[in-house]
Amino acid sequence: MTFPIEIESLAKTYRGKKRMQVEALRELSLNINQGEVFGFLGPNGAGKSTTIKILMGLISATAGSARLFGTEVRQAAARRNVGYLPENPALYDFLTGREYLSFVGKAFAMTDGAIAERSGVVLEQLQLTDAANRPVRSYSKGMVQRLGLAQTLLHEPELYILDEPMSGLDPIGRSLVKDIIRQLKRQGKTVFFSTHITADVEAVCDRVGVIAKGKLQALDSVDNILRSGVEGYTVQINGGGDLAAHGYTQLEEQGGMREFLVPKDQFNDFIAQVAVEDGKVELIETKRKDLEEFFLEIVKQGNVSA
Amino acid sequence: MSLNTLLILNIRWIIRDRILQALAAVSLFLIMLVPAISAFSMRQTQELAVTLSLSFVSFTLLIFALSLGSTIVWRDIERRYTYTVLSLPLDRGGYVMAKFLAVALFLVVAAALVGSCSFIAIFISSFKYPSQIPVQWGMIMIAIFMDTLKYMLLAAIAILVTTVSTSFFMPFFTSIAIFMAGSASQEVFEFATSEAGTRVSGVVRLATRVIYYIIPNFSAFNFKLQAVYPIPFDPKQISYVTLYFLVYTALTLSAAVWIFSRRELT
Repeated sequence: MTFPIEIESLAKTYRGKKRMQVEALRELSLNINQGEVFGFLGPNGAGKSTTIKILMGLISATAGSARLFGTEVRQAAARRNVGYLPENPALYDFLTGREYLSFVGKAFAMTDGAIAERSGVVLEQLQLTDAANRPVRSYSKGMVQRLGLAQTLLHEPELYILDEPMSGLDPIGRSLVKDIIRQLKRQGKTVFFSTHITADVEAVCDRVGVIAKGKLQALDSVDNILRSGVEGYTVQINGGGDLAAHGYTQLEEQGGMREFLVPKDQFNDFIAQVAVEDGKVELIETKRKDLEEFFLEIVKQGNVSA
Repeated sequence: MSLNTLLILNIRWIIRDRILQALAAVSLFLIMLVPAISAFSMRQTQELAVTLSLSFVSFTLLIFALSLGSTIVWRDIERRYTYTVLSLPLDRGGYVMAKFLAVALFLVVAAALVGSCSFIAIFISSFKYPSQIPVQWGMIMIAIFMDTLKYMLLAAIAILVTTVSTSFFMPFFTSIAIFMAGSASQEVFEFATSEAGTRVSGVVRLATRVIYYIIPNFSAFNFKLQAVYPIPFDPKQISYVTLYFLVYTALTLSAAVWIFSRRELT
């Protein structure tokens, strides 16, 4: 079976001055499935960009291998079906936005007609139509980021590799990018994006890999993580007897409405007790660790074991 | 396909570069001054006009070759354009070749443009102050053509240095040093191998010989004297020098492609 991204025991060691060595990646193995949105989460300097640069053939791995749709990443052909957005993209600023997209389209062997048509679509989608004929040097940081995203969408590839796609964007831009990622998912495209913002992963990803100190520390679906992070429930009760006497923690009381904190394993007993006491459950809210807490825990463990 | 795409991109970049536009304007202005300046020579106005024109053409091409050759790859790396360009399905060999071809093409166009202006300047000078020696129009064209080849080779060397360097200064000054050494190497070599050269130590003579064969011999491209005065020369020289240019440039670019294909774009 061919995966959009296959990474096997990938390692990268940078050699600095005075023979100093920095292990940026260690034994990274990872397969990304067709049609999934994968969040590559890690703190700054964890090895996210190094992994992506290896995938895009910009740097070579010290050990291990990486393939895109079965083709070794060092070959230019591996990038034919990939849309890549680098972190803080630098685009040729002497070109206009439309000229830049035309250059990218030609690099992907698109016809002039297809370039003109798709350029119009992606410029509209990224809200850059009005600025399309202006040189990129006159663009704001957010506009450059959006043009960078437009170039990844231009040739409608099957795989999108986005390095910190939300960086430099205002809330409207961030929301736009998330919408685009969701749209790509609906179209069955594969999205691999790196970030250090957990909320972005929680909002759009199917699966998440947490990398710290160059090592993959955790790999799971977002649903699983959120489910396993459930610690208990806050339950609002109207009426009923003295539930606190049964050992349940009451958080507050307001106008006959009481709120209890119920541990996960006592939930069924609690509900049964409420029924016995003739109370009425008004609201149940899940109390769980969010992805950020999970992420911080993993990174902390990674730092200890490294 | 990818070479063509990159070539067009680089030509666009060069044409839109305001510094190069200003340099081209200055060189054209200087050439237009040739008839006036050469008039200061009382007896050899036409010869001085040819010498000055060819010198201005040569200087213009030198500036273009150095400024473009030593910056065209470096600018991409320094401004991080390489991340976006080389992550497209374009191979690095084509990337380096497109850079060279764009510079070479620009040098040809610049030589044609500045050369045409110098023809006008020489024509004006020779018309106002006719010389006993007829103007060697054909030789002037050959001299400009050879100069163009020389500066294409210099640009290839500058590009080679940029593929290993991360700074602007190293390619720029290394190229100047190679150009100066390559322009003088023929004379130094002739001295070292002459009878007078036997007084120099053997190590120095060996070093001179090694350097002579390694760095390009830029003086071989100099046909200015034949363009100013009707000095006879063997036409085969033009073929030999052209062949020398082709072989040397091909080797230089092969090395540049080989190095850049292995370069880490961290």
